[in-house]
Amino acid sequence: MAQPTVIRVPKPARSSYQPHRPLSKNTLILNQVKHFRELEKDLPREHQSGLFESVIAAGATEGLAAEYIRHVTKKLLHPPGKA
Amino acid sequence: MSAGLDALKHVVVLMMENRSFDHMLGVLHAENPAINGLTGNEANPDTTNEPAKVLPTAAFQGELDPDPDHHFPAVHKQLFFGTAGPPAVPSMQGFVQSYWDQEHNVAHSHKIMYYFAADKLPVLHTLARNYAVFNGWFASIPGPTVCNRAFAHYGTSFGQASLNIFYVLEPYKSIYERMLAAGRTTKLYYFDPASSTQEVVNLLKNQPQIFATYDQFLEDCKAGNLPDYSFIEPNYSDHPGEDGGELPASDQHPDHDVQQGEVFMATIYNAIRQNPDLWKSTALLVTYDEHGGIFDHVPPPSCTPDGFHANLADTGGVPFAFDRLGVRVPSILISPWISKGTVVPGPEDPAKGRAFEHASIPATITEHFIGAYDQRTVREKASPTFLDLLTDTMRPDEDCPTFGLD
Repeated sequence: MAQPTVIRVPKPARSSYQPHRPLSKNTLILNQVKHFRELEKDLPREHQSGLFESVIAAGATEGLAAEYIRHVTKKLLHPPGKA
Repeated sequence: MSAGLDALKHVVVLMMENRSFDHMLGVLHAENPAINGLTGNEANPDTTNEPAKVLPTAAFQGELDPDPDHHFPAVHKQLFFGTAGPPAVPSMQGFVQSYWDQEHNVAHSHKIMYYFAADKLPVLHTLARNYAVFNGWFASIPGPTVCNRAFAHYGTSFGQASLNIFYVLEPYKSIYERMLAAGRTTKLYYFDPASSTQEVVNLLKNQPQIFATYDQFLEDCKAGNLPDYSFIEPNYSDHPGEDGGELPASDQHPDHDVQQGEVFMATIYNAIRQNPDLWKSTALLVTYDEHGGIFDHVPPPSCTPDGFHANLADTGGVPFAFDRLGVRVPSILISPWISKGTVVPGPEDPAKGRAFEHASIPATITEHFIGAYDQRTVREKASPTFLDLLTDTMRPDEDCPTFGLD
């Protein structure tokens, strides 16, 4: 029985992973962070990340932005005080 | 109704980031002249007035750094360089000049003309060869990500031509709200909480119930629990996972690794392909939000305006009534009910060509799953839908490739 053709997909280079890339190189993520800040402001203070100022500071990285986005996304999708 | 359309239960849309049609698929014109790609002679003038030709030397990463400008004013230059501007037909001659503006480096500015050689993108090129490639699928706006993605979700950007969208939500509902109100099922799958969504201040804030993770998507495919309509967002950042592992960006946004996006696409395709019931009842659309400032040779056509006018502060003072499309992007519709090697005509065919754009997504989903629905923009109502590409014949399993991940 004929089998479908299997197309090989090469593994990307390990060096492509660059979480320390300056956030200033990606305005999309920087903008995403600013949008999340608008929503984070509505969270109770004890549930805010305290990371925003360092994320938008000069020299911040893509990895740090992701950490901030992770924090706020979780708080928004699982609001404090709700099961 | 075709047998393929009759069998259709699920539509999945994957929207990648910031690559033009010619950059990703232009090389395929050499093997299939019906694909409106590159002849190899296309060029833009550089700042020394020398021609910078297209070259098949695009790299996976490290080439388009800095990120090419794709905000409205820069795209306006890319489109209309050497003309008086709208309503003139776009010249498509300003991409090199626009990229030069960022670094003032003539040699570097030529890289905006580079495209991927044949089989350097085994996933995207295989999908294009095997299913339906659109010669005329355009970004909805000659501008950046968020306003373009809005057209896929709402059929409009509510008059915004920038990254800063805080919508006036009424009267137009998102396609997800429409689906739920009609008793249908829908999910917006984001990669993980650290990547999250680009629809932060609207969908995530107001409709959190529609969100699920990419891991959930894979589970839903395996278990046969895929909703009627799914929209997938790739991983937008290089970041560690919760377990400390490396999670590379898969969105293909410069300067993220294009190969990571290939792996992501292959994984999504395989997840659908490997469930026989899902495979025969699902159509997968792979598209890109916008061109990311990278060269394409096809002038974007005009479109039905949606009644909004952009803020001049976002357009560099250029009046914009959402009456013309952005730059062409790669789009491929995948299903076993699609004939191998289908090429959907675009503007190069005045008789049969159609100009698809991201408003075609909610237009298609509404038409298939909801039916008559009036409360949407005239722009969306006028957008062509794409499920007519499904035929009466389901291709045999051995005729549809799979991907093996190294």
